[in-house]
Amino acid sequence: VEPLGPAPETGAPSTPAATASVERAPGRPRADGRLLLLLLVIAIGAHGLVSGALSGPALETWSTIFVSISIQALPFLVLGVLVSGAIAALVPPSLLARALPRQPLVAVPAAGLAGAALPGCECASVPIAARLAAGGVAPAAALTFMLAAPAINPVVLVATAVAFPGRPQMVVGRFLGSLLASVVVGLLWTRVGRGLPIAGSRRPAPAGLGRWESFSHTARHDFLEAGGWLVVGAMAAATLQVAVPRGVLDQVAHDHLLAVVALGLLAVVLAICSEADAFVAASLQQFSLSARLVFLVVGPAVDVKLIAMQAGMFGRRFALRFPALTFVVAVGSALLVGRWLL
Amino acid sequence: VTDRRTQGTLLLAVGGMALFLGRSALTLSYVRAFVQPLLLASGAVLVALGVAAVAAPGTRLAPSTRFDPAARPGAAAGRQPAAAGEAHTGGSRIAWLLVLPLLVLVLVGPPPLGSYAAGRRAPVSAGATGGSMPPLEQPVNGAVPMELSEFYFRAVFDERHSLDGVRVRLIGFASPSHDGGYLLARFAMFCCAADAQVVEVAVKGDPVRRSADQWLSIEGHLRASLARGDGQEVDPGDATPDLIADSVTPIQPPRDRYEHTLFGY
Repeated sequence: VEPLGPAPETGAPSTPAATASVERAPGRPRADGRLLLLLLVIAIGAHGLVSGALSGPALETWSTIFVSISIQALPFLVLGVLVSGAIAALVPPSLLARALPRQPLVAVPAAGLAGAALPGCECASVPIAARLAAGGVAPAAALTFMLAAPAINPVVLVATAVAFPGRPQMVVGRFLGSLLASVVVGLLWTRVGRGLPIAGSRRPAPAGLGRWESFSHTARHDFLEAGGWLVVGAMAAATLQVAVPRGVLDQVAHDHLLAVVALGLLAVVLAICSEADAFVAASLQQFSLSARLVFLVVGPAVDVKLIAMQAGMFGRRFALRFPALTFVVAVGSALLVGRWLL
Repeated sequence: VTDRRTQGTLLLAVGGMALFLGRSALTLSYVRAFVQPLLLASGAVLVALGVAAVAAPGTRLAPSTRFDPAARPGAAAGRQPAAAGEAHTGGSRIAWLLVLPLLVLVLVGPPPLGSYAAGRRAPVSAGATGGSMPPLEQPVNGAVPMELSEFYFRAVFDERHSLDGVRVRLIGFASPSHDGGYLLARFAMFCCAADAQVVEVAVKGDPVRRSADQWLSIEGHLRASLARGDGQEVDPGDATPDLIADSVTPIQPPRDRYEHTLFGY
């Protein structure tokens, strides 16, 4: 009789050889599926019992924000894993490596500009960047693409223009600030970063699979892993949104330096989709335009949900260093562009 | 989550949730309506991937042929085997969290944001005044119906003071204020509840104590425009307009609890 316990933990591999296998030993697999069904049945059955206990307004608000972020990110995550599956199935790694120039000074800005072609928000670009790096693209170029895509694609720029009517310099500022930040981070990473660790299931699909199988294998793995970490990020963002008290922002609005740091941190904490953040920035009327540009440039590049996803995709060490570097560079780029434009 | 069938089941669960949310009116508590078609499409993709994973024949290859890091030197370079193993098990376990939004939906059934969130979140606040607003709509039954956010921005920004002497009808929920009275509040959502901004108007002249989150339809007029017309900023502390109420009616909550037009778009 096999236990109905949490199979993934008990089945943890201990050797590199075991690590390399995607599927567990025969006999184990059904437990996971049954556990899932059991959880669902318990959840539905327990609804009447616990709904009273779980009805505090703080918990309800937390739940609303958590569910909202998860639901809203889902279509974009699916878009991301479809692209990453297509890359794995249709683009041979050798082509990917040859398509981009070898010289980082050329490849990194090119990857940044290529980000303009992906009309998604930041949840989509993390699995794509991981797949590009796994397929042989230089890590710096993949990271630059990951930072640029959610910030400078047409949908985001149009949303920004709509949110700031009569202020086209906000759109230009956002484009230039985000592109500058992502290119600078990419170039710095070629110097200070040690490549890009590629976590477990980010490896290429097994050789010898057909195109469809390779596609569905990659899309499935990427969705499950990136999605799991997305949920971690959504929990963190919901917690911070409920915990940060009202009125904190108004107190710092008039001190320029404090305001810039506060809006940069707010972007990290709120974890708003890059297609909606311009509207929030527009409503932060007590802040200067350049402080709000900092909010717009930092948000798509660094936020708690992205940090969680990057920790899952690239490892904990990466998630400690990379977002810190990106935050500093993004604030600097936004201030520079803001000083020039706004 | 390591075997193919479990992965498929998980995808079916999440995909099924997306399909349900793509059609349910419940979804409007969390995201804006334009996300729903996207949810339907992504749900269909996930269900297809899930069915493919559960139903595909010949899924089992010998473990040794699965992934051979040595065959892909570029991808495996510089990676410690132990670290990779750790990351892999982490990735396996983390996928279980995907059932959490589904569990929260079923167990808690989170309501749309209400007065608790309104009290925790900084309200939309005023900045420099200016800009002209489009003309008011025609009154219906003696009052001009308008969204709370339109009322707010006319009160705070409109240099032409278009609300002066105009009887309006506003809908929102009661949110207790510090002075013992209440605010009429409503959230304006752009994309999802995480980015919703609260719009608030202080209600004056209602003798009845309203319980928090009671939805109200209020007819009345703006006490005084806050738009100064000199391009100077309004102190955010003074930026809540007063609504002098002369008729307050408790109502059922509207189908969509959120407004979607802040600043007129």
